[in-house]
Amino acid sequence: MSTRAEAWPAGGTQPDWTLTVVPSTQDESGRTSPLSQLDDRGLVEVCLGGRVDAFDVIVERHQRAVYQLCFRFVHRHEDAADLTQEVFLRAYRGLRRFRGDATLTTWLYRIGVNVCLNQVSGRRAQETPLDHAPNIPAAGDDPASSFVRAREGARVRAAVARLPRKQRATLILRVYQDLSHREIALALGTTVGAVKANFFHALGNLKKLLADEAIEKP
Amino acid sequence: MTHLSPDQIVDIADGCATSAVAAHAAGCESCRAKVESLLDAARLAGSDRQHEPSPLFWPHLAARIGEAVRREGFRVPLWRSWGWRLAPIGATAVLVIALGVGLRMWTGTPGSGLLVPDAPAGSPAQAALELALDVEPADDPSWRLVSELSAEVDAEEAEAPGALPQPGGTDKALLQLDAAERMELARILREEIGTRDTFMPQGPGA
Repeated sequence: MSTRAEAWPAGGTQPDWTLTVVPSTQDESGRTSPLSQLDDRGLVEVCLGGRVDAFDVIVERHQRAVYQLCFRFVHRHEDAADLTQEVFLRAYRGLRRFRGDATLTTWLYRIGVNVCLNQVSGRRAQETPLDHAPNIPAAGDDPASSFVRAREGARVRAAVARLPRKQRATLILRVYQDLSHREIALALGTTVGAVKANFFHALGNLKKLLADEAIEKP
Repeated sequence: MTHLSPDQIVDIADGCATSAVAAHAAGCESCRAKVESLLDAARLAGSDRQHEPSPLFWPHLAARIGEAVRREGFRVPLWRSWGWRLAPIGATAVLVIALGVGLRMWTGTPGSGLLVPDAPAGSPAQAALELALDVEPADDPSWRLVSELSAEVDAEEAEAPGALPQPGGTDKALLQLDAAERMELARILREEIGTRDTFMPQGPGA
């Protein structure tokens, strides 16, 4: 069994070739490993029983979400990859503490937010240089509109980076990771009411920061 | 007039507000403006599209994490990985300790000789009791082996499958043994632990 890579963003430039990625949960003959049939809790149990390869399946399932989360905090591909590795290492070390109260994804997000906030705390929020702008030009975009879009994206990222920690984490999990308020509450160890309040204030502050910046740099 | 709270405004923006909240927003210009502002900010934030690396990156990242995890070493708890194989060793260790403690309590004079009413001096039972009492755990390789094997087993994990006896249970069982049973227990223990010079009882009949 092979999986067609579906990693290009909606509206992004679709290459005229197709890429087939064979996950490592398949053997050379293409058969699917029984591990890949297990759900996340089953994989955790198998891993705790001593099979590290079960953790490989967990990584393959969740690495993209964790990477995207980390990228939202650091905005650099290399740093996001390093943080993703750190998140999974911490998850592996603390796998016994996963009780199954939340989904494994939420648990990984919780570790990810802590790792990322620790990593970026103390760093001065900085604007992403345009040459680091990661957006892939959308189909039909001309160079000028691509440039404008990249600049707007960089402005938003810089403003998000200046938000208070909890507001920033809440906004990233809600807007970019598409978590529900309840999932965010579990990931951040807080209440649904607090998540909604943080989200409200995060968006208000974001708008104000962008407006202030527009006044400073017309 | 009480305006909507931030979480109620978020509920309206998400389309999951109660009918009372929605009715208020419909009639309150101030609250409706806050909802519009929130939605506008959410659109701004969402305009920054998700970064998407090359599809070739994911297998590379998974392999890299897999290597890092394996470098971590095998940190699965000893109890889980060994499972029930530890149970007989743990049970033997508990029994040996309980035997010593129980006999000391029974004689009533800790460390003051072996005054066992039913066991004549120099008898095998007496020898077994000496064996149990005179060995210093720190010098005993068997004890060290058990200690090392059970170092990572915490009481909570050992108790869950019933590997730990109930409090006082071993003492009670021990005190209910008659002389012949104690002799047999001593023989079994000696076979399990192995007869060594330091374990040999002193005196006639040894």
